[in-house]
Amino acid sequence: MSLLATDAIVLHAFDYRETSRILRLATREAGVQSVIARGARRAKGGPGAGLDLFTSGRAQWMVRPGRDLHTLITFDATHARSALAADLGRFHGAAALAELLLRFTPEDAADTVFAALERSLDALVIADRASVEAEAIAACWALIGELGFAPALEHCAACQAELSPDDDLIFHHRAGGALCARCARATPGGRILPAAARAVLIAWRDGERPVLPDATHAKAHRRLLREFLQEHLEDGRPLRAFRAWDAR
Amino acid sequence: MGAIDELVTELARLPTIGRKSAMRLTYHLLKQPTEQSRRLAAALTTLVETVRPCARCFNLTESELCAICSDPRRDAAIICVVEEASDIPAIERAAEFRGTYHVLGGRLAPIDGVGPEELTVGALVARVAAGGVGEVIVATNPKLEGEATALYLQEQLAGHPVRVTRLARGLPMGGDLEYADGGTIAQALSARRVMG
Repeated sequence: MSLLATDAIVLHAFDYRETSRILRLATREAGVQSVIARGARRAKGGPGAGLDLFTSGRAQWMVRPGRDLHTLITFDATHARSALAADLGRFHGAAALAELLLRFTPEDAADTVFAALERSLDALVIADRASVEAEAIAACWALIGELGFAPALEHCAACQAELSPDDDLIFHHRAGGALCARCARATPGGRILPAAARAVLIAWRDGERPVLPDATHAKAHRRLLREFLQEHLEDGRPLRAFRAWDAR
Repeated sequence: MGAIDELVTELARLPTIGRKSAMRLTYHLLKQPTEQSRRLAAALTTLVETVRPCARCFNLTESELCAICSDPRRDAAIICVVEEASDIPAIERAAEFRGTYHVLGGRLAPIDGVGPEELTVGALVARVAAGGVGEVIVATNPKLEGEATALYLQEQLAGHPVRVTRLARGLPMGGDLEYADGGTIAQALSARRVMG
C-alpha cells in the first residue's frame, strides 16, 4: 500500500452504511478515482467533514493495488462551490459536467482535464444568470476537447475538406462532426447544423462566450451535445444528468 | 440454492450487513428457539403487508394516515419537508416542532436519475394549493443536492400564499470553531444574527 495525495474535486457522492460515504473524485494526478470516506456522515469529525459535491480539496488516500475503491484518509476542503445550488441552471450544468467526467475520463487522464473542470465549475459559479446555460454547454465542449474527441467543425470529419463558414451542414455524431455536402450524401443519419450554430460551437471551442439568443437555441445545443456524447459511449447507458438538464 | 444460502443472500442485501455478518445471523437464527425465528418471520411479513406511505404526507404508517397527520394536536398549517421518512424521528427527538411533515422520497440528484417526477413534489404543491397551510419549512439535507431541491420547492410554491422557510445552518452545538470546515463557517457567518 502507498499513500497518494492530490488535488481533487468531488463529482459524485452517496451514503454508505451508517456513517460512511463513497465518493467519485476527479483528481489532478490520477484521473477519476473512487474512495470511501469512513465517518464522513457524522456531524463532527471523520475524514471529510464538509465533503460535498463539486468541492475542491486536497485528498489523501491509501492505494491498494488491484482495488477499485480506496480508503480516504483526509480531504482538506479548499473551495466549496455551494453557489452552484443557488439556481437550478448552474446545478444542472455542473451535474452534466460531472457526469461527462465520470463517464469519459480515462485513468491516465492529463492534468489539463482536471484544470479545465476546475475552471469550468468556477466559471459556472460566477456566470450571470442569463449566460449560465451557454457557459455550461461551452464548458462541456471544452472538456470534450481536453478529453480528445472534439468534433470537426471547420473541416469535413470524413474527407478533411475545408468547410465554408457560411454553409448550413450536416453534423454526424458517429462520423465525428460536420460533413461536407458530398460526404453527407454518403453518410445518412446526420442532423442539420446551421452555420450560425456552428459558429457558436467554434467560438466556444476557442474560449469565447457568445450569448445564445433564446431558450430554443439553448435547447438545440443541449440536444446536440447529449446526442454527441451518447454516440461516443461504449456502454450505451443513458446520460441521466444530461437528460435531466434537457428536461428542465 | 439451499435455504441457508437463500437467507444469507437476502440478509446480505441489507445495509450494513456483509456476507460474513449475514452468515453469522443465519446461524444465530438456526440456533435460537424455533418460536423466536417464527416471530421474526411473522413480524417481517406483517411489516411488508401493512406498512405503506401515509396518504397525506408519505410518512410510513399502517393506516390511511400516519400518527402525526391524524393527531389533532399537530398544527396542520405548518409542513416540514424532509427527504426521507427516517428524517422524521430526528426532528421529533428535538421535541420543538408541533406541525406536520411531508416526505419527498429523496432529493434532486441528476447523476442518479432522480428528478422532480421521482419525488412527491406534486403532492406537496397540491397540499398547499388545497389551502390551510401558512408555512412550509424545507428541511432537506444541507448538502448541495439538498439545497438545489429546496430551491426547486421554493420555485414550485412561489405562486401560493405560503411562507417558505429553510432550516438554519451553522456550527454544531458542542463543536469547536477550529475544526469546522470552511463551508459550515461560511454558512454560519451568512446566517449570523443580532444578539439580545
